[in-house]
Amino acid sequence: MKNGSSIFYTALLFLLLVSYPILSQEENEISPYIQLQYFKNTDESRFLKTTLTYSLNRMEIPIPGMEISFFSEADGKELLGTVFTDYKGVASLELTKNIRLPINEDGLWEFSTEFNGNDTIEAANSELSIKDVRLEMSLQEVDSIKTISLKAVTPQNTSDIPVSEEVVMIYVPRMFSLLPVGEAALDEGGTASLEFPSDLPGDSEGNLTIITKFEEHPDFGNVEKKVEIKWGVPSANQAPVAHRALWTKTAPRWMIITLSVLLAGVWGHYLFAIISLILIKRESKKKAKL
Amino acid sequence: MQADKKLLKDLTPEIESTSTTWYITFSVFLGFFLLGIYGLIQQIDKGHIVTGMRDNVVWGFYIVNFIFFMGLSYSGALISGVLHLFNTGWRKPVIRMAELITVISLIIGPFFIFFCIGRLDRLYFLFIHPRIQSPITWDVIAIITDLFGCFIYLYLSFVEDFAILRDYEGLQVSPWKRKLYKILSLGYDGSPRQKKLLSNAKTIMSVMIIAIAIIVYSVLAWIFGVTLQPGWHSTIFGPYFVIAAVFSGTGLLIILMWIFRRIYHLEEYITKRHFVNVGVLLTVIAAFYGYFTFSDYLTKWYGSIKMDSILIDKLFNEYYLLFIFANYIGILLPAIIIAFPKFRTIPNITVAAAIAVLALWVNRYIIVIPTLETPFLPVQDTRAEWIKYSPTWIEWSLTLAGVSVFVMLFMLISKIAPIVSISEMQEQDTEEILK
Repeated sequence: MKNGSSIFYTALLFLLLVSYPILSQEENEISPYIQLQYFKNTDESRFLKTTLTYSLNRMEIPIPGMEISFFSEADGKELLGTVFTDYKGVASLELTKNIRLPINEDGLWEFSTEFNGNDTIEAANSELSIKDVRLEMSLQEVDSIKTISLKAVTPQNTSDIPVSEEVVMIYVPRMFSLLPVGEAALDEGGTASLEFPSDLPGDSEGNLTIITKFEEHPDFGNVEKKVEIKWGVPSANQAPVAHRALWTKTAPRWMIITLSVLLAGVWGHYLFAIISLILIKRESKKKAKL
Repeated sequence: MQADKKLLKDLTPEIESTSTTWYITFSVFLGFFLLGIYGLIQQIDKGHIVTGMRDNVVWGFYIVNFIFFMGLSYSGALISGVLHLFNTGWRKPVIRMAELITVISLIIGPFFIFFCIGRLDRLYFLFIHPRIQSPITWDVIAIITDLFGCFIYLYLSFVEDFAILRDYEGLQVSPWKRKLYKILSLGYDGSPRQKKLLSNAKTIMSVMIIAIAIIVYSVLAWIFGVTLQPGWHSTIFGPYFVIAAVFSGTGLLIILMWIFRRIYHLEEYITKRHFVNVGVLLTVIAAFYGYFTFSDYLTKWYGSIKMDSILIDKLFNEYYLLFIFANYIGILLPAIIIAFPKFRTIPNITVAAAIAVLALWVNRYIIVIPTLETPFLPVQDTRAEWIKYSPTWIEWSLTLAGVSVFVMLFMLISKIAPIVSISEMQEQDTEEILK
């Protein structure tokens, strides 16, 4: 019995030890990662976007509900606005026309973003300098060749300065992501043209969207121009021929046969047992009558 | 059908009257059960947000409990089927308990799936839109088939006892119980033809029960095995789960033997020999279970697939206490206690069994949770609290409720039918006299 008691207490000790990881959860101060990005859309609207995340188990975890401040730094630190991060850890501030955006001596906007931190998350900040750029895209068919013409200029005082020796990407949105269909290098005049593929599937009427953009450009940030045009090959969505497979509606025959045989075998034996019980009951009834 | 009066008196202690201890014990477990019901109401009212389950770790305590109870059920079926089929002499006092473990666990287990499902109102979709290709469909079919089979098998084993109780004139029970015994005994009087019919049905069902237990628990293992997740996508998961189930079921059987022996003073019927025999069975199964566990982790570790390595690293760091308890102590300690004759006392064997059962539950926990915390593809737009699973009081309360229902059902059944089979024991007596 002494042995039994000692083993029992050892087991109890282990129980307490093993229950600790289930019951508790470690909490450390989080060191966040803050990213500031600039976006200019087709309709000329501009945004500053801050993403607040941290890394855990190789995963980038958003930090929602945190107050993010946006500043303009070109003419002294000036608060542009404060926004709370959403569930993706993103805080976006639209740079409306009412917001004054001073430029520095190099003609750049200087932005900064700040997160002041709290008891569990450290403070973080980030900066960004942006040169305004106007990206234009025109689409035309020249001798049955679908051609995309691009032009990029940076407005400066009263004149526009062409953006040269920069690469602009062309995309077409597909189901899961953007399909790159070409890239164009801008010449001295800030222009470029390229041929659009003629065999790209569009919707049932051949419509597709063409997007050109500067992506994460060190000077221009993210600038995008989007146009919808009937340049795609009309697609006729045909339902695939029905066949038996793991992923289709109808199961492979072997699967149905195996399952049926197994079930028939098992339920057949159940039936035998039930019939035996019925026969036992009948026998007793017979005896009772006698 | 007549039986020895002493045997009847000894094996039907709670059928005639209810002791105060019975009421107190039942009330305590009923309290736990009601706490679980309160937790469930909270969950239904507020949704699964009240649990620790989130987008990453979508399975928590509920699935762990489901696998655990289903494992107990299949092991009960396997043990009782094997003991009956091979006509093991010492089986008689323990076989009924194994059969009851099977049925009771099989009733409780699926409830944890219901707790886990977010849209219970769509549960019937499983039946009106089944996909034969889906392991979930296999599992639904398997559990229903198993439930029917186990009920039939249990009932077959009860027929003779019901007939004995029906014909026992000295039995002081209410008229409804007498009527119940009359109905359930099917007029069985032990005639040679009836005996043959019953014996054949029992033998056939014991074979079926063994086969079904293996298939059904393999199906449950394949739900994990066919999934491309680190730690789960393993070819040995089927047999590994079956062995693990038998391990936990054998452990539980020992615990129940100890409880009923103590409460109902069955020292004459459940002897040290029974504990040692079932204990040896537990040791042998522990060896197999340890072998499977080692093979599973060795091949994963040696393969060095990135996510498997991360998972094993997590198990040996973040979960090291649970891992060591489930896979080292839970296997080695019971085996050591039972392997050495010096340690083979009834309390020691029972403690060893309790460790084995608990280790198996923890083993299920570290199979389910760390894998879900280590997905092949990082989940996008995730949040910190979604990655690390931490059970809430609601999950604890429902787990406790599951255990309570298990105990309460055992107690309720002991009010209607003998926990140790009278007919089997009588047969044993006859055999001994003949010898």
